[in-house]
Amino acid sequence: MRVFLAAIILSFGVIAAAQSVDIRRDGNTFKVIGASTGTLVVYAGSGDVPPLAGSSSAETGTIVFHPRFPLAPGVRYRVVFTPRGGSPIEKTFESPASAPVPSARVERVYPSADVLPSNLLRLYIYFSAPMSRGEAEQRIHVLDANGKVLPGVFLPGQELWDPQNRRLTMTFDPGRIKRDLASNRRMGPPIAEGRRYTLLIDREWRDANGAPMIEAFRKNFRGGPAVRQPPDPKAWMIATPPANSRTALVVSFGRPMNYTLLQRMLKIQDPRGAAVSGIIEVGKAESEWRFTPVREWTAGSYRLIVDNGLEDLAGNKIGQPFDIDVFDRITEHITTSTEALPFEIR
Amino acid sequence: MKFLKIGSLAAALVLTVYAVQPRPVVAAGDTASGNVGLKSAGALAFGPDGVLFVGDSVGGAVAAIETGDKTPAAAGAKVDVQGLDTKLAAMVGVQAGDILINDVAVNPISKNVYVSAARGRGPDAAALVVRVDTAGKLTLLPLDNIKHDTVSLSDVPADNPGARQNPRTQTITDMQFVNGNLMIAGMSNEEWNSALRSIPYPFKTAGKGTQLQIWHASHGRYETQAPIRTFVPYTIDGQQYVLAAYTCTPLVKIPVSDLKAGAQVKGVTISDLGSGNQPLDMVPYKKDGHEFILVANSSFGVVKLHADNMGQYKPIDSPTVVDVAGAPYDKIASVTNVRHLTAFDATRAVVLTSAGGGGFGPATGPFNIQTIALP
Repeated sequence: MRVFLAAIILSFGVIAAAQSVDIRRDGNTFKVIGASTGTLVVYAGSGDVPPLAGSSSAETGTIVFHPRFPLAPGVRYRVVFTPRGGSPIEKTFESPASAPVPSARVERVYPSADVLPSNLLRLYIYFSAPMSRGEAEQRIHVLDANGKVLPGVFLPGQELWDPQNRRLTMTFDPGRIKRDLASNRRMGPPIAEGRRYTLLIDREWRDANGAPMIEAFRKNFRGGPAVRQPPDPKAWMIATPPANSRTALVVSFGRPMNYTLLQRMLKIQDPRGAAVSGIIEVGKAESEWRFTPVREWTAGSYRLIVDNGLEDLAGNKIGQPFDIDVFDRITEHITTSTEALPFEIR
Repeated sequence: MKFLKIGSLAAALVLTVYAVQPRPVVAAGDTASGNVGLKSAGALAFGPDGVLFVGDSVGGAVAAIETGDKTPAAAGAKVDVQGLDTKLAAMVGVQAGDILINDVAVNPISKNVYVSAARGRGPDAAALVVRVDTAGKLTLLPLDNIKHDTVSLSDVPADNPGARQNPRTQTITDMQFVNGNLMIAGMSNEEWNSALRSIPYPFKTAGKGTQLQIWHASHGRYETQAPIRTFVPYTIDGQQYVLAAYTCTPLVKIPVSDLKAGAQVKGVTISDLGSGNQPLDMVPYKKDGHEFILVANSSFGVVKLHADNMGQYKPIDSPTVVDVAGAPYDKIASVTNVRHLTAFDATRAVVLTSAGGGGFGPATGPFNIQTIALP
């Protein structure tokens, strides 16, 4: 483990006089000036802790300690230099705690509707700045109509972030949603039809810099009926734009769909089978998908390619409900990965 | 002793098992020294010869790291470190609250314990893997220069190559090395799916994937897809299984031999604790001629399942089947606030405990890691 030398003994032949040694912090390093031989150990924090990981080098009468990781605010560093044959010399450095300014807020939450199905599977929370991991469970609450925090609403465990920590995916406890599981039988679904709720996200949630948010976030909603039928593309309405225009194609689903999946699971193919480039907008509480092409539509037969993994709010996929009734055999597993819906541009 | 009611549960799970293409970084089976390039260090599993698999959910990859840690443990070796978070924080120069511990694995040869963690809570948090040896010493693995091989799990192209960064991630919930294959359970941050990957190690080009149907066996009628939270290899009556706990449902057993292309498998329910509880980790073991599974739970604490009759659980194939009860279990009150549990040897396990907030609750330090006798 040569990179992580905890204690470094340097022997360069020049013996330093201990009394003239000076220990300084210089940016992201610690320097022992006036010494070339001895043992240099840095400790972060207090108590009986292992040494700070890093490496040392000798530079003309100076020993320089390079920490493996950048020095952090709010941490006390104790630098101990023991000259060969001498007594330890010690100096403590307080790294001032940072006082980050609040800059983050909840920008959006999907689904955006005010009435949400009682078998709603997921929430997607968009923040304006990168957030801290490990706090979601204590910062996100669902309150009942009396303002009481409801326990056991969300699936605990791994926090599902995007790589920037700006979008968090929360899953309602699927054991309470899936019919006939023990949790479902004992506790019922997390959301009850007809009841009123508030999603509350605490201001105290720290962003990636450690600052709280600018403000708390509240979203009021009401429980609606469970959605058990899988989405059927054949029932969708496609409003086709005229040729030689850049008017948006509008697909209406007749129900809200999963916002994140609408960004990538619908595609347009032109008459030659090539993908059409364009801008996607999702509206009307995620029940409408608008596609504005980069170039004008030309007359001909286009196709809307639907990924069968597209979900509605309850996790029902195309042709496949979230929980399949295996004995009625009304629904079966879908084996194709996509469906194509043709439409004409005239 | 209590009995877990399965009731008229009947969920079947559709499980997608597919192979992935390794990155063409090095030739098959070779490892090279250099920076592992981990963007995060999550799930851990040991393979052969001291190879440590590290799941990188943020980077969408798994690294196989040659730890070189191949000296067999001395008899009676144990692990006992109090304040692991404080010590690790001191080594990397942050406050203890800025250390997030992600997983724990035991090197089956040396019995040294490996812990994955993050230095920081933001998107730029550094990945850490630390070895906790049987003398209690902590050593950071030099992830910027160590022999390794990497396999990418990003078999799906970015939706919009022009976008700054693909928002999709597949969080690796658990990994196990079973019969020469690294099995990886994952959970998407976008769609609800049940991906279980199987990658031969040493990493090399694998065959195309397939979709399996995994059924719960008990009376009922609904089947669903669900991600696997935790799983562990287990032998029942001479046959290799994996015991899997889903995010939605109880423990099921799945024959490993069935996890291959084109097969339809029957996953059989062992127990369903219900009531919002989730199994975190499992350790199967034998004691006094009986078989048990020690399970650390999110809200039920640690329980010991009596597993002698595991082979008798049959899959459901008819709505007329009337179920009885799940595996009997004992609650183990002697160990609390367990966040990670893994096997140490035939008679002991390793637990990582927090001072407060057991299971999934907000953790409060200090975190301790120690061997305990299997009950």
